[in-house]
Amino acid sequence: MITQQQSVVAPNALKPKTTKLGINLAIAYSVFAAAVVGTFAGKSFAPNGFELVVANHYDLWFCVGLALVGWVFRSVGGHKGAIITMTILSCFIILTLNQGQLVRYLSLSALLFSMGMYGMGQSRNAVRVLISIELMLNAVNLNLIAFSRYVDPIQLKGQLFAIFVLTVAAAEAAVGLAIVLQLYRNTSTVDMNRFNLLKW
Amino acid sequence: MSYDNLTALLSLPVMETWMFYVLSALAICLGVGVLHDRVVIRSGFILIGVFGTIAGFFLLLSAQFLAMAQIMIYAVAITLVVVIALMLTNPRLEAERTAEPDDDNMPAMAKFFASCKRNMTLWISAFSFITLYVAISGENRWPVAGLPVAKDQVKVIGEALTTTYSIPFEFSSVLLLAALMGAIMIAKNEPLHDPDEEPKKAIEDSKTQINNLALTR
Repeated sequence: MITQQQSVVAPNALKPKTTKLGINLAIAYSVFAAAVVGTFAGKSFAPNGFELVVANHYDLWFCVGLALVGWVFRSVGGHKGAIITMTILSCFIILTLNQGQLVRYLSLSALLFSMGMYGMGQSRNAVRVLISIELMLNAVNLNLIAFSRYVDPIQLKGQLFAIFVLTVAAAEAAVGLAIVLQLYRNTSTVDMNRFNLLKW
Repeated sequence: MSYDNLTALLSLPVMETWMFYVLSALAICLGVGVLHDRVVIRSGFILIGVFGTIAGFFLLLSAQFLAMAQIMIYAVAITLVVVIALMLTNPRLEAERTAEPDDDNMPAMAKFFASCKRNMTLWISAFSFITLYVAISGENRWPVAGLPVAKDQVKVIGEALTTTYSIPFEFSSVLLLAALMGAIMIAKNEPLHDPDEEPKKAIEDSKTQINNLALTR
């Protein structure tokens, strides 16, 4: 079947695509080469940094292995959401089990923050972008309250800052959703790719 | 079981660890659901669960006032606003997404780079998490004070808000007022022409017609 389809496609139709592909390939290879060269150059500039990270965080490499296993399961054809969730959860447990209480909360909030960052960059619905921003603000609040519990349990400065963050988040949600509603009324879409009015 | 007994039970390290992992499993699963669900309105409802689990974390950290504020502001108010905004917009956008055609002629390396380019935000967020984790973890990095929690937390917060932090407090109230007024102004649907103007115009037209009729006679 595949060979038939390939034979049907005319060679002329592929010509502009191949040139574009060649340019993309050149860019990608140069970026890869720059990354490799940069890694080794940085190693020579700061001789102990990279090895220190490798030696102290062997659990990080275990998590990389777990992620690879999850990727293999996904490409075999498992349920995508379940595999992603189990991989993130097991990586999180491995990374935080030997740590202290404060570091556990801090890493959980870092995880929630990066998840919100991923959703903010990846989703096309504008309301989902706002939801991701709320998730990030919540991660910051968790961070502040963990600090106020373990570092400053008498004056509770972290909780006070969390109150201000809550206030600003409420204001941000109201204004952001009003802007989204007005944009939907004017353009009849909430697709982030079409909101290029202020782009240039 | 009284409240003091409950706090004593929760302050046991083993119990706190177990509660932390149960709550974090819930939070991570629901967070992935929020980001990954194809139906946006369902992710808006899952958001209630995420905020509820984070309120549970606040209770674990013995910040009762903040936990209640979290439930009131985030899990009810903000989620309500989000869900209403989802109902007023078109929530079936993600179904329209067309998968990018996979080019079979590409070499394996180019395929790999194309997938990297498509999932750039994933790599960036994973890298940022690893960087944050490496920066956070490590022994004796934070000056952890082994002090017990103050009993009268709400009193401390209220006194600080009215004395030391009174100016930011007032400013935040002004900010909330300005933001809500701005939200109303932005979201208000202003018609292009005033609907009250048309009947007036019709009445005036009829008056001028009658005048004209009178003049012609």
